[in-house]
Amino acid sequence: MGVNFKDLIPKTPVKLEDLSGKIIAIDAYNAIYQFLSIIRQPDGTPLKDSTGKITSHLSGLFYRTSNLVEMGLKPVYVFDGESPVLKAAEIERRRQIKVEAAIRYEKAVKEGKPEEARMYAQASTSMKDYMLDDSQKLLGLMGLPWVQAPSEGEAQAAYMARKGTADYCASQDYDSLLFGAPKLLRNVTISGRRRRGKVFIEVVPEVVELSKALNECGLTYAQLIDVGILIGTDFNPDGIEGIGPKTALKLIRQHGTLEAALPHIKNPTFPCEPNQIREIFLHPQVTDNYKLDWRDADEQGIIDFMCREKEFGEERIKKSLERMTAGSKKQKGKVSLEKWFG
Amino acid sequence: MFKLKVSDAKLLRDMATAISILVDEATFKIESDGLKLRAMDPSRVAMIDFEWPKSVFQEYEATEPTKICLNISELLKLLKRAGKDESVELGLDDKTGKLLVTIMGKYARKFTMSMLEPSEEEVPTPKISFNVKAKTTTSGLSQAIEDAQLVSDHVKIEAETDKITLSATGDIMGATITIQKGTDALLDLEVKENAKATFSLSYLSEIIKAAAASSEIATLEFSTDMPVKIDFQQAKEGKLTFFLAPRIETE
Repeated sequence: MGVNFKDLIPKTPVKLEDLSGKIIAIDAYNAIYQFLSIIRQPDGTPLKDSTGKITSHLSGLFYRTSNLVEMGLKPVYVFDGESPVLKAAEIERRRQIKVEAAIRYEKAVKEGKPEEARMYAQASTSMKDYMLDDSQKLLGLMGLPWVQAPSEGEAQAAYMARKGTADYCASQDYDSLLFGAPKLLRNVTISGRRRRGKVFIEVVPEVVELSKALNECGLTYAQLIDVGILIGTDFNPDGIEGIGPKTALKLIRQHGTLEAALPHIKNPTFPCEPNQIREIFLHPQVTDNYKLDWRDADEQGIIDFMCREKEFGEERIKKSLERMTAGSKKQKGKVSLEKWFG
Repeated sequence: MFKLKVSDAKLLRDMATAISILVDEATFKIESDGLKLRAMDPSRVAMIDFEWPKSVFQEYEATEPTKICLNISELLKLLKRAGKDESVELGLDDKTGKLLVTIMGKYARKFTMSMLEPSEEEVPTPKISFNVKAKTTTSGLSQAIEDAQLVSDHVKIEAETDKITLSATGDIMGATITIQKGTDALLDLEVKENAKATFSLSYLSEIIKAAAASSEIATLEFSTDMPVKIDFQQAKEGKLTFFLAPRIETE
């Protein structure tokens, strides 16, 4: 689930249309999980085609992404590769949660409790290979680039942003900051009215700037990673007992490094050498082997795939396509004054 | 502490209108020699550079340089309440730290308004060497832009020695507007080198419409594929200048 920086880090709300012309490197797994988890019927059943294959992710990917393109943004989805070995514990933990949620979901359905069923259905969301294939195929038809990361997608996205080939990283996880993403966009693919339990809340896109965050917390980048490790990351999901975001921040501020802070912590336990976790963030596995090209959408191809094969309603898909093409045409050629600030 | 009094509310209202088309939250600098604002719109395509020297004001007091940030549409709401020949005074309410807007006419009205966190960003001046300088009437320019807007959402502006041509191409219609040097719409034209650049019509028309209330003469400066600088001559002293980035077709 990523590191819990929620309360430590300053965020600024942003209007997506103001990011027109910007390249947004989107954490693909993170986005697809969100779609799979959120796009469901009231009782928790995901969207499916007549063969029973889930299509929730395609719905989210298509409508959300076409919306971004319409506003002139240039999305590039970055897919995870092999997980670092250190993530095994987290992956197992997530699998357990899903297995349990699936059992509870069945139970809730049998007992006729739709609210609970929906909650457990969301928690049992899991990603299958065919969903990734579908997603990549759709992105290709939409004329959008995607990148295969050698390891963590967030790390690759952050690397691209640091190099300047992307302007923003988009993910819900704050781990992007630990990977050095200079500007993290949150709530890009899920903005709008969202259900939180029984109530609906308004979710707005927000930007988190690494330099501002470091300034605000009075930390260096390396120290932020140490704070993250104390709170708990994907590589030590449990963190350290009794240490939350505020304590972690205080400890690193006071002692400078994780190693210096450890003697002041009762029973610090890690699944591995903490330095190994730090290394993943500081020197993640990334690649320069990618090309970013934005082409026109293959409208017929999209209709064939989405409507014929995946059985989405043609009218709605066509309408979105029209809006996307018209919008991107309007935004094309837009440049910022900053180019002349020298 | 500051106290800025303008004898005619309309002046202030027109200024706020011009600013409001680009920014929602306006950070003003109140300096010893006058009121200044320089800001970009959120998508950073356009910039406004505004200055009113002390002499524009009926009263101007600024004990030390101050920055204030205001929600400009809220300010406009207040200013719209002020009639002709009413004066407006902006000051600081010591007790609450809010902006105090006093409208004085037949009777006195005091409004308080919360201020926002001022922006720390210093917006630089774009570095451009201009090859074309065209002096137009704001109304003439506005007409030409409206014509182009009928057919498209962007317009190409070309300058040759004796004329300026605006051309727009839409899906259904096209438009070519030629303005000769020496006519009412084009008072003067200096061309060092022929130039052409394309701009968004929605930005252009918003900018011109908003500035038209306070300015009759507009000077455009541009070069090929460079931002355009539009300077709106103010009735009193003061500066109202916009920069707008061009559209550059990549393919």
